[in-house]
Amino acid sequence: MLIKKMFRDICKNLSQFITIFLMVMIGVMAYSGIKAYMDGMSKTSETFYTENNLFDLNLIGANFTTDDLKDIKEIDNVKDAERKLYLTGVTDNNKTLLMSFIESNNICKFYVVDGEAFDANKSGVWLDEFYAKENDIHVGDEILVKYESMELHEKVLGLINVPDHLYDTRDESELYPDRKEFGFAYLSANEITRDYVIDLAKNSQDMAGLDESIIFNIITEDNYKDYIIFNYVMVDVDDVDKVNEVKEEIEDKIESAVAIVKAEDTASYVTYQGEIDEGKTYVGVFSGLFLFIAMLSVITTMTRVVKNQRTQIGTLKALGFSNAKILMHYIGYGFWISLVAAVVGLVLGYFGIGNVFIGLEMAFFEIPNGAPAMNSGSYAVAIGVVLAVVLISYITCRSILKENPAETLRNKIPNVKGKSLNITTKGLFKKLSFSSKWNIRDIVRNKMRTFMALAGVVGCCMLIVCALGMLDSMNFFVDLQFSTLYNFDYKLNLKEGLSSSDVKAITDKYGDATSQSLGIEIKNDNGEKEANNIFVTDAKDYVRFVNRKNKIIDKPEDNGVFVTQKLAETKGYKLGDTITWHIYGDDKYYTSQIIGFNKDPQNQNVTMTRAYLESLGIEYKPNAIYTNMNLSETKEIKNIETIQDIESLKEGMTGMLSMMKTMLVLIIGIAVLLGAIIIYNLGILSYTEKQYQFATLKVLGFKDSQIKNIFVKQNNWIAILSIIIGLPLGFYLTDWLFKTAIEEHYDFGASITVQTYIIAAIGTFVVSYLVSKFLARKIKNIDMVTSLKANE
Amino acid sequence: MGKIIELKNVKKTYVIGEQQFNALDGVDLEIDQGEFVVILGPSGAGKSTLLNLLGGMDKVTSGSIFVGENEVSKYSDKELTRYRANEVGFIFQFYNIMPTLTVEENVNLIKDVTNTSKDAKEVLDSVGLLKHANKFPQELSGGEQQRVSIARAIMKNPKVLLCDEPTGALDSKTGVEVLKLLRTQADNDTTVIIVTHNSLIAEVADRVIRIKNGKVESNEKNEHPKDIDEVKW
Repeated sequence: MLIKKMFRDICKNLSQFITIFLMVMIGVMAYSGIKAYMDGMSKTSETFYTENNLFDLNLIGANFTTDDLKDIKEIDNVKDAERKLYLTGVTDNNKTLLMSFIESNNICKFYVVDGEAFDANKSGVWLDEFYAKENDIHVGDEILVKYESMELHEKVLGLINVPDHLYDTRDESELYPDRKEFGFAYLSANEITRDYVIDLAKNSQDMAGLDESIIFNIITEDNYKDYIIFNYVMVDVDDVDKVNEVKEEIEDKIESAVAIVKAEDTASYVTYQGEIDEGKTYVGVFSGLFLFIAMLSVITTMTRVVKNQRTQIGTLKALGFSNAKILMHYIGYGFWISLVAAVVGLVLGYFGIGNVFIGLEMAFFEIPNGAPAMNSGSYAVAIGVVLAVVLISYITCRSILKENPAETLRNKIPNVKGKSLNITTKGLFKKLSFSSKWNIRDIVRNKMRTFMALAGVVGCCMLIVCALGMLDSMNFFVDLQFSTLYNFDYKLNLKEGLSSSDVKAITDKYGDATSQSLGIEIKNDNGEKEANNIFVTDAKDYVRFVNRKNKIIDKPEDNGVFVTQKLAETKGYKLGDTITWHIYGDDKYYTSQIIGFNKDPQNQNVTMTRAYLESLGIEYKPNAIYTNMNLSETKEIKNIETIQDIESLKEGMTGMLSMMKTMLVLIIGIAVLLGAIIIYNLGILSYTEKQYQFATLKVLGFKDSQIKNIFVKQNNWIAILSIIIGLPLGFYLTDWLFKTAIEEHYDFGASITVQTYIIAAIGTFVVSYLVSKFLARKIKNIDMVTSLKANE
Repeated sequence: MGKIIELKNVKKTYVIGEQQFNALDGVDLEIDQGEFVVILGPSGAGKSTLLNLLGGMDKVTSGSIFVGENEVSKYSDKELTRYRANEVGFIFQFYNIMPTLTVEENVNLIKDVTNTSKDAKEVLDSVGLLKHANKFPQELSGGEQQRVSIARAIMKNPKVLLCDEPTGALDSKTGVEVLKLLRTQADNDTTVIIVTHNSLIAEVADRVIRIKNGKVESNEKNEHPKDIDEVKW
């Protein structure tokens, strides 16, 4: 019979049980969904890296010979090694393609989305799947790629994903991959033309001064492949723990290796991993907060449901039902509802949020078979939520059962302990209006209810500040990067190995604001080396520097280096300290004094002037030129590899921001919904408890509007206090998110505009006010006779 | 003493599901100003309904209620609120005082609804509660709490005091104290109407009205009311 009662009670209080159902479902869905998405990201990449054999080490050099390759393969723990020639080509419609010419494909194996697997004897190109999609290229189509004198007409043999090309950008100033303009392509080394090899030979030191006809005789149609220059070697190590050992041995033995980069230090790997690390922080914060707020609303609703059954509990008790039986009956309400909701939440989390977010990421990262992954953590949270609901039902029901049935059969009269309220009868309090005194004392009496309301509204306010604040901070970053630090319209990236006369020809035409980026290793006191880079500036005012407070500062003097703030903080560098470093490919170490710090939101590196570099005896070879000339119509410049337009860089960022906006709208929507439910539930609880007092006030002649004001006042106070607490907490949450979640080489902090605070404050207050007003409508319908009778 | 309350053929019908229940079934009644009236009757007779209609807490199904010159039964909700605020005082069996307000604050509450209220301290003094002015209701005995309720009711200087079982939750001695206080109000020209099922209280009343099945069974003037100190239950 009690089961019948339970079903009928649920039907009768459908809206409350739907609330519980939705809150548990949303909470579990948010947590398990985001977790399934993050775990899915990790699992998808692990699978891809393992199955497609991502290299362990990537060797960069000027020319790796067959002997070098043989030597590398003979090093202990080296399982395999493959050479590749890596060039940046341009297509006939002026798109950039990173071309890899390979001899075999056992390391960084293709994942073939369409077409056929790699075959060194086949003539054709295996093309970046995303690039092909963006440019409507299909298997069987033909494309034209040029690199200097080499012009390749190639048939597309396959569309592929490759484990070291999850994320490619032209250079570090580009944050968002532009797949339409920039992609990668793999070809067999057999596709390299003899003409290209001869051209290269003409400029090489070995054959310098030789007559062209002699070179033609040396490099014949039959043997030209022996003269191909491979600038990369990918190494597969058989034991992950031995990677460092292998790296050191290669450094010792293979002279051709100018730089050796571990897989986990490559841009593609770091960016993807960064996204996972970033997401893991979000899992903790956002889904944790959602779950917390959802649980608050479930607890308040469940308390309300059980308290509303007070007289029925009394009746059951009076009829002789045992406490255990009554407890089981009321625990059943929350248990079944929350169990079903938790299961639905898990399913929707996995298939909904997990799939959608993974889908968004997979549009950004080029990785196959992206799928969410469910793990025991999510099941534990779901079980925890159900248990929490059961516990709340138990505690609430038990507190009612402790009273004797006669008391239980009457409505609860608030128990007021005079002593705890004594302070409110003195001093300033005496002068307060009746409604203020009433509300202060009500808050003092109902600390737990007030705390829950406060926590719920603070949580909402924080989420709104954080969601909008993240957008503000990103906008601030875009402005800092592209308007303050970058004070140019175009950046021209020079091709490698240009002669000084070639460079002069360009600077004569486009101005002499230049810079050079140098790959370096910094040695610490323990002798450990860490990869970094030096930005050598001769860019005049085209590239500017800012301090911690984002104020523009002068470039370094010519007697030392600037280190970025975050790098200095991480490494513990202080003003006047020195750093010891060497350029990749040159064993000579230099020691430079730190003469200042600059803030760079994108790169944590070292900066020096051209004059200082030259004072160290190092030749300055610019690799970038900055100009404000109008190059909007210019597609190609001789000896310039890429022309970067600051506006299109900004647009790239805007694309990323619009994706962020969609997620933020979702966060704000859920925050507002949860907040409204908490305020509503606690409001109902508070209203029910005070109903008979309101009825008395009505009898005494109070107008409905006066009583409504008393009721709304308390919620307004709570909302205002929550806003005061929530706004700064929202800032700290955003700042913390940026500082901990974001990749190591970024230096972002929260930069939230006043408008955001105003929107969050008004938004939170309006939600609270409207819900209170909605609840206050009940006061008009208080039936004095019934309310007062019910109390007897 | 002139007439202050007049009921003409007052009916109150409650509809519960498909059932109709006549709580009052054609009540005619007249009460004079300053009278100490006791309305007696068994449970369900309709006494509380009568009190609620007189107090403007409920509306008649048919008939008329006059308080002074005004036909209260025709009042709108707004006018009823004003009527409750200025003209009638209520005293309940379970006091219905605000647990979160002190004694003095409970009495001063009336200042929020009417401009013609008395001085709270004087009123508290008159009911013997001045020394408890800063206490919360929970710190008082039942009798004292009922006196707070009386103080609150007389604070607005009402024409009529409506008391629903005012001694119902009190022991005999404390009940007598409360009755004395109410008698004093009647002596000061305030009409006091007490609804009770305790027939002993009827002995001290100026007028006793008996109600049964929603009708007035008898309406008698008590020419020789007993002294309140002689009453015991």
